[in-house]
Amino acid sequence: MNNSARRVLQRISFVALLCLLTATASAQDWIRTGTGLGVERVRLAAADFKPSNADPGNTALLKTFNDVLWNDLDNAGIFDIVSKSFYPLQEPGQPSEIIFSAWNSPPPNTSMLAFGNLAVAAGKVTVQGWLYDVKNEKSPQVLGKQYTDNATDNAVRVIAHRFADEIIFRLGGGVAGIAESKIYFVSDRGGHKEIWMMDYDGANQQQLTHLGSISLSPRISPDGSRLAFSSLVKNSWEILMYSFDLNRLVSFPRFGGTNLSPSWSPDGKIALSSARNGYPNIFVLEGSGGNWRRLTNDQGPDIAPTWNRKTGSQIAYVSGRTGLPQIYTMESDGTNVQRVTDQGYAVSPNWSPNGQFLTFSWMRKYGPGEPGSNDLYLMDIASKQWVQLTHDAGRNDFPCWSPDGRHIVFQSHRSGTDQIWSMLADGSNVKQLTFKGGNSQPNWSWK
Amino acid sequence: MKHATAGMKRWSSLTVALGAILFFGACAKKVAPPAPTPPPSPTAPTASLSANPNTVDAGQPTTLTWQTTNATDVSIDGIGPVDASGTRQVTPTDSTTYHLIAKGAGGTQDATARVTVNAAATPPPVTTSNATEEELFSQNVKDIFFDYDKYDVRAADQGSLRADAAFLQQHANIHITIEGHCDERGSTEYNLALGTSRADAVKNALIQAGISGDRIKTVTMGKEKPFCTESNESCWQQNRRGHFVYER
Amino acid sequence: MAAVTNYDVYSQTGQLRRPLVWSLGLHLGFAGFVILYAVFVNGVRGTGWGGGGTGDAMGATLVSAVPLPASPTDATNVVATESKGLAKSEPAVPPKEPDAIPIPDKDVKTKLKPAPVKTATLRNKPQPEQPETNQIPYGEGGPVSGPYTMNAGGAHGGFGFTGNGGDFGERFAWYVQAVQRKVSENWLKYQVDPRVSDAKRVYITFDIARDGHPSNVEIEQSSGVPSLDISATRALQGIDTFGPLPAEYSGSKVSVEFWFDYKR
Repeated sequence: MNNSARRVLQRISFVALLCLLTATASAQDWIRTGTGLGVERVRLAAADFKPSNADPGNTALLKTFNDVLWNDLDNAGIFDIVSKSFYPLQEPGQPSEIIFSAWNSPPPNTSMLAFGNLAVAAGKVTVQGWLYDVKNEKSPQVLGKQYTDNATDNAVRVIAHRFADEIIFRLGGGVAGIAESKIYFVSDRGGHKEIWMMDYDGANQQQLTHLGSISLSPRISPDGSRLAFSSLVKNSWEILMYSFDLNRLVSFPRFGGTNLSPSWSPDGKIALSSARNGYPNIFVLEGSGGNWRRLTNDQGPDIAPTWNRKTGSQIAYVSGRTGLPQIYTMESDGTNVQRVTDQGYAVSPNWSPNGQFLTFSWMRKYGPGEPGSNDLYLMDIASKQWVQLTHDAGRNDFPCWSPDGRHIVFQSHRSGTDQIWSMLADGSNVKQLTFKGGNSQPNWSWK
Repeated sequence: MKHATAGMKRWSSLTVALGAILFFGACAKKVAPPAPTPPPSPTAPTASLSANPNTVDAGQPTTLTWQTTNATDVSIDGIGPVDASGTRQVTPTDSTTYHLIAKGAGGTQDATARVTVNAAATPPPVTTSNATEEELFSQNVKDIFFDYDKYDVRAADQGSLRADAAFLQQHANIHITIEGHCDERGSTEYNLALGTSRADAVKNALIQAGISGDRIKTVTMGKEKPFCTESNESCWQQNRRGHFVYER
Repeated sequence: MAAVTNYDVYSQTGQLRRPLVWSLGLHLGFAGFVILYAVFVNGVRGTGWGGGGTGDAMGATLVSAVPLPASPTDATNVVATESKGLAKSEPAVPPKEPDAIPIPDKDVKTKLKPAPVKTATLRNKPQPEQPETNQIPYGEGGPVSGPYTMNAGGAHGGFGFTGNGGDFGERFAWYVQAVQRKVSENWLKYQVDPRVSDAKRVYITFDIARDGHPSNVEIEQSSGVPSLDISATRALQGIDTFGPLPAEYSGSKVSVEFWFDYKR
């Protein structure tokens, strides 16, 4: 009896010791994780927000809010959005209404759930929104926000954008969402080519200039306060400056001759193409218009400079010095000129926010009898490897990166007229943003 | 007897010969000294005068042409003494009859020529002459066309360029603007730059041909103001040009 | 034991009684202890680390409560089995089948020399592969969807210690997932020596500050392949931020141990 008892005791104590040891093992704030653990996109469900009171004004605002929120999350490019047809019938408007098992298992089988409620009272709208990790019942809340504003359609739209951006920021690894960014473009719908702007999703299109001439190449400054563009003034092309602080044109030196395609550096300098020395070459000047420096020195024509937005120390541009236009890069002092494209007709380069990629319009087979079309391409600057983004879809030109580096807005003739389209930077999820008149040369804000 | 007959024959032929000589000689002599005619009276001068054209518009010149003979003193009313024969350009303001008087030893001769001046069909204020000039300009000054993606003046267009330069030389008061255009293909921005190069190429060629540079301005239109909108090569060629614009 | 006929069993019943009783008793006692331990110390769900994107390492089963540490597995073995992460050395953890389809291995890969990579500061998105014409076939590559760098399957979920205050992964599984995604997207596998086809895991440790910026990147355990180690380190160095640490988290930083499974 003693032996067996001792043996039992030994076994029990051994097991107990083991458990104790692990229970008190070191408790740093550690995360241990690794690759190969299913790094696909986050599965996100965005339930329709519900009204939290009976005000009749809720219905219209809710529709706007839900549509805009869904669109923003769907467009973000980082989610695997779960289709609404999989959602359970009972949709939560408050955290207490969530049934986790209804969401974290099939059919919706989502990881994240955005939900909330909206109410209008006394001319003000209040929105409460949450983002829940429904796989983590113990500690599900990722975000909880409340917004209040005037009960107008536009205010609700802005709230939806803000909430979507919060979600994208949290789940997208610290890269801010673009739901509140703007796009500036050229439209001739009023009879003349003027400068317009709109929300990133095509809403709120409004006219900025009323010059009655031809205005082209709008480019917004890094801080969003000034818009530079090129316009035909009497018989010369000048750089004009629009101020968003004052909502009108502000003075900028007139140089005479042909001054085209202004482009901002991250520290507020402007590169442009000017023919002041006889042939169109690339120049750099201060954002105030002074201190001209010449960067290229050839017969060109050199045009369409774009700065490396990350470092501010390189410029890519288009040059016809060998015949058909090709893309080149150089340091911002004009040295170290490198040719990027080897053939065809390549124009309109735009540098990505992370400094790594160029996107541009390229017709690779070019010449009489070669039908080819202008397609958009993406190239890694360091390795010169490229990817074709558009295929068999008419003439595409003027690509421009979004501030999050995940989207590209561009001009396309695929619908029969020049319109502005956007897509993810891998060529998917193509959407048309403008429909009236002829719209071209889009430029995305920096934030 | 015989001797006497021979001698008589000799003497008779001699006489006959002498007589013939005398006779013929005398006739000749008779003819040789003509009877002096009485001194002739002096010849009357002749004169002719014509105007070409003899109908002009106001302000337009006409050329008078005259010829005289036997005149020592020739003059035309309103002009003064002139050479015996000559031409002169005149610009009458009204219809005029020009009167030439040729005086000579033999008398006086005059001649007239009438020039009719039309009141201008279009009244001529200062601008009219410009309008005409502008019409002349658009008739005579031809645009220069370019090959695809090129801005150098083609050999085929050199003739047009020379003719344009010549016209501009003749009308030294004309100022021009050269617009550079491109066809619809390709990028907006690149085409603006190409248009600049085209306009400048034409300007430089004109300067080489002797036209002063400060008469010429250039501007690019890229593909923003096409001359035609079809999508075929003939329209595209129409659009690839340096276009001359008359400036006042 | 040898087959015993019926009558043998009956005849031996008496001999078996005592050991049987002891055996039953011990088993019951042990089971009871384990249940109690699981319920009161670790909670029903166990410890979640956000592994697999589904937190699926934490089934509410008895077995998950066995607090054996995740020993660094021999990655070669794990990968070679092609099983979906059932680590042989850890039978205690039956992984739930990840709901998402494993990232398909893009077969377009050709052996790339890492030499053309000019700059050591290559950031962010994995590069398109390089056929002779320098073109990536349509649909492949592109920076946003990124994860063609992933193995098929690969080792499965990490889970770590929990204890006093060390429950970051449990409370903020979404943040862990974001870290995972970002590092995996930034890992440029073509930087690894093309002759290597299988390698042990390389373990990298780093800290994440409050603003999300990674620092103190170190190799905790090498894979034995220098180019793999370097590519893993670079993946971390190329990241500016993971996003700020959750506001509800009170610590000033979080330490991460991240492993890279490489299989060509």
